[in-house]
Amino acid sequence: MDRFLTELGLFAPAVVFNLYFAIASIPLGFILAVCLALGKASDNVLINRLSRGYIYAFRGSPLFIQFFMIYSLALSFNVGVWKPMGISWWVLHPLFIGPLVLTLNTGAYTAEIFYGALRAVPRGEIEAARAYGMSRSQQFRQVIWPNLIRLAWPAYTNEVVFLFHATAIVYFALPVIGQQKDLMITAKELFERDYNAFLHFSVAALYFLAVSLVVFFLFGLVYRRLMRHMPAGPRMRYAPSWWR
Amino acid sequence: MKKLILTAAALLALGSATQAQETVRIATEGAYAPWNFLNDAGAPAGYEIDLGNAICEKAGLTCEFVINDWDSIIPNLLAGNYDLIMAGMSITDERRETIDFSQNYFPPDPSLFVAAAGAGVDPQALEGKRVGVQGGTIQAAYAEANLAGANTIVAFTTADQAMADLAAGNLDTILADGAYLEPVVAASSGALEFVGEDVLIGDGVGAGIRKDETELKTKFDDALTALKADGTVDKLIAQWFEGRGPYFAE
Amino acid sequence: MSDNIAFWLSYLTNGKHLTWYASFQFTIFAAVFGGTLAVVFGLIGATFKNSRFLPLRVIGSIYSSIVRGVPDVLFFLFFPLAFEQGVEWLVASQVCSPEMLAAQSAAWPPCKEANWLLGTPEYLVLASVSLGLVYGAFATNVIHGALRSVPKGQLEAARAYGMSASQVLWRVHIRQMWVYALPGLSNVWMLIIKATSLLSLLQIADIVLWADRLGAPNFLPAVGLVHDDWRWRYYLVLFVFYILVTWLSEKGFDAIMKRAGRGILSEAR
Repeated sequence: MDRFLTELGLFAPAVVFNLYFAIASIPLGFILAVCLALGKASDNVLINRLSRGYIYAFRGSPLFIQFFMIYSLALSFNVGVWKPMGISWWVLHPLFIGPLVLTLNTGAYTAEIFYGALRAVPRGEIEAARAYGMSRSQQFRQVIWPNLIRLAWPAYTNEVVFLFHATAIVYFALPVIGQQKDLMITAKELFERDYNAFLHFSVAALYFLAVSLVVFFLFGLVYRRLMRHMPAGPRMRYAPSWWR
Repeated sequence: MKKLILTAAALLALGSATQAQETVRIATEGAYAPWNFLNDAGAPAGYEIDLGNAICEKAGLTCEFVINDWDSIIPNLLAGNYDLIMAGMSITDERRETIDFSQNYFPPDPSLFVAAAGAGVDPQALEGKRVGVQGGTIQAAYAEANLAGANTIVAFTTADQAMADLAAGNLDTILADGAYLEPVVAASSGALEFVGEDVLIGDGVGAGIRKDETELKTKFDDALTALKADGTVDKLIAQWFEGRGPYFAE
Repeated sequence: MSDNIAFWLSYLTNGKHLTWYASFQFTIFAAVFGGTLAVVFGLIGATFKNSRFLPLRVIGSIYSSIVRGVPDVLFFLFFPLAFEQGVEWLVASQVCSPEMLAAQSAAWPPCKEANWLLGTPEYLVLASVSLGLVYGAFATNVIHGALRSVPKGQLEAARAYGMSASQVLWRVHIRQMWVYALPGLSNVWMLIIKATSLLSLLQIADIVLWADRLGAPNFLPAVGLVHDDWRWRYYLVLFVFYILVTWLSEKGFDAIMKRAGRGILSEAR
């Protein structure tokens, strides 16, 4: 028991990195996703094609490869671009490139969710808004968006949990700077020291599980608030969804 | 039913165990030229592969090289996935706590700092620099203990990845084995240079081996002693490290 | 010009590259075997979850929720290690004599004779099994939902024909279930494909490892062609490869769904 508690303590600094990666990429990924979803629904052929292609490519390839590819790509621009701009030390830092790749990745998945929700917005409501003489931006802000976010929220919650789990592979693909180690690297290093897989990996798993539950809980609260106008609205269950 | 599963498991393990007695499996990283690398044919090659084969021939063993990532190379030795490590691994007291080593097959050799030519890096007064190392090496431990306060230590999975970052200007300097760096610096035609003084860490490079494998260790050591005595080891060092040494013969 | 082409042709077909191309077999094997196992585990899990016997139901639910709460890569690393130690422990309980136990100085395995050697084939099978276990949990949920989507009338009709419970299950329920499960299973398959990129973490010399080794800068003529850091090009190839596989799988699943959906009301699709 004592051993278990020390172990929990050892992992506490590590979970901060996973949380950082997730928290840094969630808002950015959200914004990117909204743009991509609107792009995919756009009538402009070029924007439409580009958004579709981007979403398809980033959903169709492994995050692990995306990490390797984008890091080495960024590295090859170092001498020509980042160095002269003086941002080299930051651009190639795992704390920057990690959230960057996660954002690009989750942006694509979230965009697909939002696009699906966008298509599910009741046509009648949009027509009514138009009949009221709302402008296009008014229509979006006051009718489409509130509908969209309510429709998409359960799936989006699920995507955030997937994203948090995806932070586990950041340091398998990127260099480790000093003592900045996340849950997986910590577990792996401890395991390499005493070869006790059961203890170290279970504790890391526990942290992931705990944060996942917190995410489900917090996002559930938000969902209840989003749905507060509904009579006995559908409560979101803490059961995770299985789609990505 | 339980008995059946147990027997099946036992057969499975025994099958691979008997197989193991026939061939000695040697793990190497395959990304640390000229010590060990994957040649154009996709097979392991380099100083340690030639030496390992020579030792096995001398000792009458059948050997096979397997590729394993550097950072899990000791745990997988302990797990019994192979019997020896020949991967440019320096003999240190810390590693001796978990595994045994053969006698060294490469004499103690200083580690060196390398930097882009003319970058003006001074290892005597390193401050605010980005120092690249391969994670889990003696140099990583040294940098962590002596340089971490004032500098950023960046740990890579392979030494080649660190070199790529140095070449692309993402690192100010790399601390690595002199025998790994020297051919690279020589081949860089002036783009890279050694800076500062040598750092002497480790007791030379030896083969890692499980503590319970005394029989294999004796066989390996005896063959290595014989090869050192007849000059084969020095010849291989001269061949792979381009006449640089260091040699065992005075 | 033709010299150039000849040079690149011979470079891209040297042994190192050929090994890289050959290593695609590991990825494909892991995806196919892992995918098959995921469906098997999914069927077992869903049967458990649907069971009338409470403990089985609990096991089914715990299996699917625990696996879903943990990153796939964690399970992927943990399971082969745990399985290896488990087998060695089992073997040790059978073959280790007290003398052998006493002779053992290392921490693990209990005696030398109980050691289980893991090479690439063993790792590959273990990796596929852990892929199967992780995504089997996903498939459990998909199949569980699909079993519930089969119209009750169909089952009642089958029962009215005098079919036994197992006949109803195998001849009607599970056969009809596939139509409802296919979209979900196709999603699980896409996840499995992407997870196969993690094989190199289990010491399998897979496409990712070779891409790194081939692309890493080389400074020494004795080692091979001297070149700069070419890694991103090799990773780009893998990036495109995975997108192509996804595209092909999509086409394949579309065709299967069309076929499976024949004679079923369109609401199923």
